[in-house]
Amino acid sequence: MPTKSKSQKASGTKSAAPKSLAKISANGARNGRPSAKSAGVRTNEYGIPDWRLEQPEFEIVEISSGPEVHYEIKGKLSAPVPPIRESKYLNRNQHLELYRWMLMNRRMEVALENLYKQSKVVGGVYFGLGQEACSCASACALGPEDWFAPMIRNQGAQLVRGFHARDIMMQYMAKADSPTKGKDGTSHYGDIEKRQMVSPISMLGDLLPVMAGVSLGARLQGKELACLTWIGDGGQSTGVSYEGINFAAVRKLGLVLIIESNLWAYSTPTEYQVAVKDLANRAIGYGIPGVIIDGTDACQVYDATYEAVERAHRGEGPTLIEAKLMRMKGHAIHDAAAYVPKEMHEYWRKRDCIDRFRKYLFDKKWLTQAEDERLSAEVDKEIDAERAVAEASPMPEPHTAAEGVYCEDGCHEVRPKYGIRQKARRSEGKLKETEAAIHFK
Amino acid sequence: MPQATYLEAIRQGLWEEMESDPTVFCIGEDIGVYGGAFKVTDGFVHHFGPQRVIDTPIAESAIVGAAFGAALTGMRPVAEFQFMDFIGCAFNQIVNMVAKSHYRWGAPAPLVLRGPCGGGVHGGPFHSQNPEMHFVHTPGMKVVAPATPSDAKGLIKSAIRDNNPVLFLEHKFLYRRIKEEVPENGYAVPIGKARVHRQGRNLSIITYAAMVHTAQEAADALAKEGIEVEILDLRTLFPLDREAITQTVKKTNKVILLHEDTRTGGLAGELAAIINEEAFDDLDGPIVRITALDTPVPFSPPLEHFFLPKVEDVVREAKKLHAY
Repeated sequence: MPTKSKSQKASGTKSAAPKSLAKISANGARNGRPSAKSAGVRTNEYGIPDWRLEQPEFEIVEISSGPEVHYEIKGKLSAPVPPIRESKYLNRNQHLELYRWMLMNRRMEVALENLYKQSKVVGGVYFGLGQEACSCASACALGPEDWFAPMIRNQGAQLVRGFHARDIMMQYMAKADSPTKGKDGTSHYGDIEKRQMVSPISMLGDLLPVMAGVSLGARLQGKELACLTWIGDGGQSTGVSYEGINFAAVRKLGLVLIIESNLWAYSTPTEYQVAVKDLANRAIGYGIPGVIIDGTDACQVYDATYEAVERAHRGEGPTLIEAKLMRMKGHAIHDAAAYVPKEMHEYWRKRDCIDRFRKYLFDKKWLTQAEDERLSAEVDKEIDAERAVAEASPMPEPHTAAEGVYCEDGCHEVRPKYGIRQKARRSEGKLKETEAAIHFK
Repeated sequence: MPQATYLEAIRQGLWEEMESDPTVFCIGEDIGVYGGAFKVTDGFVHHFGPQRVIDTPIAESAIVGAAFGAALTGMRPVAEFQFMDFIGCAFNQIVNMVAKSHYRWGAPAPLVLRGPCGGGVHGGPFHSQNPEMHFVHTPGMKVVAPATPSDAKGLIKSAIRDNNPVLFLEHKFLYRRIKEEVPENGYAVPIGKARVHRQGRNLSIITYAAMVHTAQEAADALAKEGIEVEILDLRTLFPLDREAITQTVKKTNKVILLHEDTRTGGLAGELAAIINEEAFDDLDGPIVRITALDTPVPFSPPLEHFFLPKVEDVVREAKKLHAY
């Protein structure tokens, strides 16, 4: 792992939260559901807990009366920025650790943007600007053995779980030393050995049954693990999303799903993606717990994920977390997102997840201005060093394009990761010939 | 050696692998208490338990996705499609998630996708198809299509032991129609190796699955007229056994390519290209294709009979080619 001490700390965040504390404070979590009974938590009209400290009321409407069809935003945009909700599980150091990951996430993406502008990137760059809390805090809530599968905007989660910024940079630059050796780009890589990351593919929703299957594979080896993945309000429209969540629900598998309701699916507003106001309502249809959180509040993200992870570890099944936030850049770097109404951008900029978390740390007196500047400089220095390593990597040898389609000649040993501990059979009987009628003769 | 049908041979192979390797498990629709639509896993759930014989919702992408996820933890899942026609429902999961995983990020996907394919049972357009070419054309997949009970048993074992995703096509017409002596425990048939089903010197028929038996019947009839046909049963459709294909063409110098799959884009085209590359100078006649029509598989018996390649088609074309 790149930054060993860091990743240990990251995985330590969960175990550091005392189990007894979790039991005492998470009233709702005791019955395996996200806390709704704690003071100040309201529920929506369908009884889904809504942890947010503000419930903004606005919608996107399509205006087609003028010369150009465009989107406008209707509703109240002047509300004051809400405070951060106190975490039930994070201690002071964990807050600071999380803040550092979020900074690292953002600074790495700035570096990626610069690499792109210098024509060092092959293809486009995808950003998680505004979604750093959602990526980092959720990844911090996983246990060391848990699995995760990031989507394109969850680059922060990869850092938290032990990848280097250089790994991501080299993926974008299609370098020989990138995790996929230039075979694929962006965050399309993974590691089943040490960091338990499943590689995403470009098609949305397909990771959901896969993560359910990882949980199933672990269960067959006697382990209940949490398998975290994210999807957008757009991505969850796919049929395979339903198949995956439903299968996980039926078999009570450890899927932890964060739907990042980031309001824009490429250029299509959520209003044209789904008719429900809160995507968390869909949890009712799946027969699993759902919760709505403010995706720009790192504490809410951490706590909701933490409870879902605990539920998965108890073998009680999946949880659907809807994180409300906004994608603060275009779909990819080429997209200026001119279709987004300006006021909407302004509204969410005031709710920037890092600025708010920093202010929270200042107010708590857990971080001083000087410490923040020092931390920021450290992060920049680390990113610069990572960038230098990434840039120095050569491009792959052309002939390697022909290699690795099949797992052959002992390139990988397939073995049960956790060992089989269960009994392989129920009886000692032998196979009997079947005489039952069959479908079509 | 005891006799077994094609169906029983597959059941034996699967059972033996589950007995000897606790990482092998089955997942699919109605495979548990019911034992599967074709009874391949009949009784398995009572012996191996519901943890290893898992009934799923009707959700093919979830079945393949879950199998892949479990494979990432080192399990060897065997996923059943109730009918191979439904593999289209899981196309993206197979082609983009599973097949590319080793190439893209070095994660082996040791899973088997198995189920009944093929026509001749009046199953209609959605219970009779031969979907092999979608996956022969997908780098990362291996595709197996046995024609005999012994090969079915030996190849299901190899498919399960393989570290790559293997599509295992069981021809449902053969399930209870053919029977032969099948070796007991501890044997496997290698993937990627064809088998000379019948020796001959006048011309070769290269084929696979149920059409091996159509070719056999035709060869019996042709032998009475003094035409000795060699039949090469491919057994594995990807990777193809180029050497065996080349060898039989070099031996007889005339070749018929026969398959039950539809014509355009069928395996025969690829086989013809290989013969062209490897044995062009050895050919003493045109490469002949005998295939199903380029239509969906029709339902009504006279229509389906018209659609499928028949013994008389093979006899007619073989005589023409022999006289060339």
